[in-house]
Amino acid sequence: MKKIILIGSPNSGKSLLFNRLTGLHQRVANYPGITVDVASGALAALPEVVLVDFPGTYSLHAISGEEQVAVNYFSEALDDPDVVQVLCLIDVTRLEKSLYFTLQVIRECERHGKHAVVIANMMDVLEKHKISMDLEGLAAEVQAPVVPVSARSGKGLDAVLEQIKYGIASGKGPASCGIVDVPDAILRGTAHKLAHKYGPKGDLLIKSQARLDSFFLHTAFGGIVFFGIMYLMFQSIFTWAAPVMDAIESLVAWAASIVVPLVPTQIAKDFLQDAIFGGVGAFLVFVPQIFVLTFVIGILEDSGYMARAALICHKPLRMFGLTGKSFIPMLSGVACAIPAIYAARSIDSPKKRLLTYIAIPLMPCSARLPVYTLLIAAFIPATTIFGGLVGLQGVAMFGVYFFGMMCGLIATSVLSRVRAEQYEDLPFVLEMPPYRLPAWQPLIRNSWNRSKHFVTKAGVIILTVTIVMWVFGYFPTMGQDLGASWLGQFGKLVEPVFAPLGLDWRYGVAIMTSFLAREVFVGTLGTMFGIENSDDNVLPLAEQIQASGMSVASGVALLVFFAIALMCVSTMAILGKESRSKTLALKLFLVYGLSAYVMAILAYNLVGFF
Amino acid sequence: MSSSLWSLTAGTQGQIQDFDPELADNYRVRLMELGFHPGEVVTCLQTPAFGSPKVFRVANSIFSLDDEVASHILITPVGSA
Repeated sequence: MKKIILIGSPNSGKSLLFNRLTGLHQRVANYPGITVDVASGALAALPEVVLVDFPGTYSLHAISGEEQVAVNYFSEALDDPDVVQVLCLIDVTRLEKSLYFTLQVIRECERHGKHAVVIANMMDVLEKHKISMDLEGLAAEVQAPVVPVSARSGKGLDAVLEQIKYGIASGKGPASCGIVDVPDAILRGTAHKLAHKYGPKGDLLIKSQARLDSFFLHTAFGGIVFFGIMYLMFQSIFTWAAPVMDAIESLVAWAASIVVPLVPTQIAKDFLQDAIFGGVGAFLVFVPQIFVLTFVIGILEDSGYMARAALICHKPLRMFGLTGKSFIPMLSGVACAIPAIYAARSIDSPKKRLLTYIAIPLMPCSARLPVYTLLIAAFIPATTIFGGLVGLQGVAMFGVYFFGMMCGLIATSVLSRVRAEQYEDLPFVLEMPPYRLPAWQPLIRNSWNRSKHFVTKAGVIILTVTIVMWVFGYFPTMGQDLGASWLGQFGKLVEPVFAPLGLDWRYGVAIMTSFLAREVFVGTLGTMFGIENSDDNVLPLAEQIQASGMSVASGVALLVFFAIALMCVSTMAILGKESRSKTLALKLFLVYGLSAYVMAILAYNLVGFF
Repeated sequence: MSSSLWSLTAGTQGQIQDFDPELADNYRVRLMELGFHPGEVVTCLQTPAFGSPKVFRVANSIFSLDDEVASHILITPVGSA
């Protein structure tokens, strides 16, 4: 099968062009470095030809081991006899930078006898500003066709297809422009000259971009605007998602009330009510939050604000060994560690990315929310202080969130100084993308896909755990005596482990099951206390916990334990895949698990002492 | 008189003279690839709060660089933009 390579600088619109030509839906965002993997797909107009999308890079001269891997991969692809053509995308609004890379690509194509085509993207921006550039002159100079397009509007794609057809039919390399042996240093100078000679003259986006930057990055107001945007973002996660979450809850309860009475036997009734509608229903409630968070982060990325947010947070995060680019992944981690780990891809420094991976599992994710809500409702009185201005439970929630985040920052701060030295570091250089209006359709599609991924991946785990827990708790006593069930027998076996925290076997079992996913804690405890739909209505369960004789010290110990421990199989799986490390997830699991246990014992004794 | 790119304030310009020898070779090359050549005039566009990386314009591109990089780029101030 014939292959065509698509390559270009970061944020030059490559993935958008890829989507246009293949009809696929690669993630697109207005943030440099969003494409990390090599993606491929058949051309929509020529299904027998595969288009391969390479990650954006500024140069074929790699400055880190990772960039070297990408560069080597490109060289290997040029040796592939099936590769007939290389499409090199340039952003005409930032011509010089694109041209240097283009010249490097053309040189490699010449060396390997491949046909190179230069795709001049963002022509719509030039047209809008009534600015022109000399494409023919440039084409004659680089001895390669230069095709003007707008990946955003789709204009010019027919001409790209014509070039592809020509490349396949002729099957031979371009006329030489004599740069086979020219070193990079000379090419840089050539790019500089060509950009000045043939490039667009004028300020293009710079003026409007500078105007917006003077507001968003203002020395005094920039920080305030940043906090305002973050506040709105968190508000939106709760306020936009809340009605849908309520609707899902009601829908699950309604479905249960219709389906359960139709089932003939008591066992099947109990199973459906507790395991299926109780367990899985409680988990589905979180899907709208995932959707809204992905959507809002998408808006921030597409609009170009994300790069500004990274910049504002850089200095404070640097104190903890991180970079401004760690901000977005860590922020996403407050909702869910999984999209957060994906978001960490855009951090170019391997060292900073590793440290970000280390911090993410300690961010107070939404799976911890039901556990925190339950324990706080059980142990913190719903009273107010400061004349009714501040609710005590709210303060406790803020405290436990803050505790988790601080643990993450302390961990990275320590590790950046003692352990991460062997990893390569890169300085903070971030291209500021222009401000743009978000493309709504891909944004909604991406949020939908992320939610679907959450349901299919985490849902399977939660369903399985709930079913297994139910079976072990129900038999052999047929739900009559939990203590004598298989689950009870197992719980009593592990009880000594949890005794230093003042917890009985039921909590031990709930903790052990929640190592698969934290939300399971509430469900397991609810099942064991024999309360139906415990997740949907946590207060009665909180009262049951109070009645079970658990002390405040044990409650605090549990909060501390959940704030630190890495209890999520999905996070571990994604962490292993994304970090390309077989041991990182396991190491974090062990270290955070042990630390959580020790810190919880300390908290138990400290609170007990007072 | 030579100073570093980091010393520029918003609205001022500097012409790149050279790179501090302390700057690692591969960073120097990358900066040149991005357009930070000796001889090029760079404009400082923004100096955000909290000592954050400053925003610079070079050719038609806008980059933010933190002090770890910008303090190694040696410039001659050429006045306001």
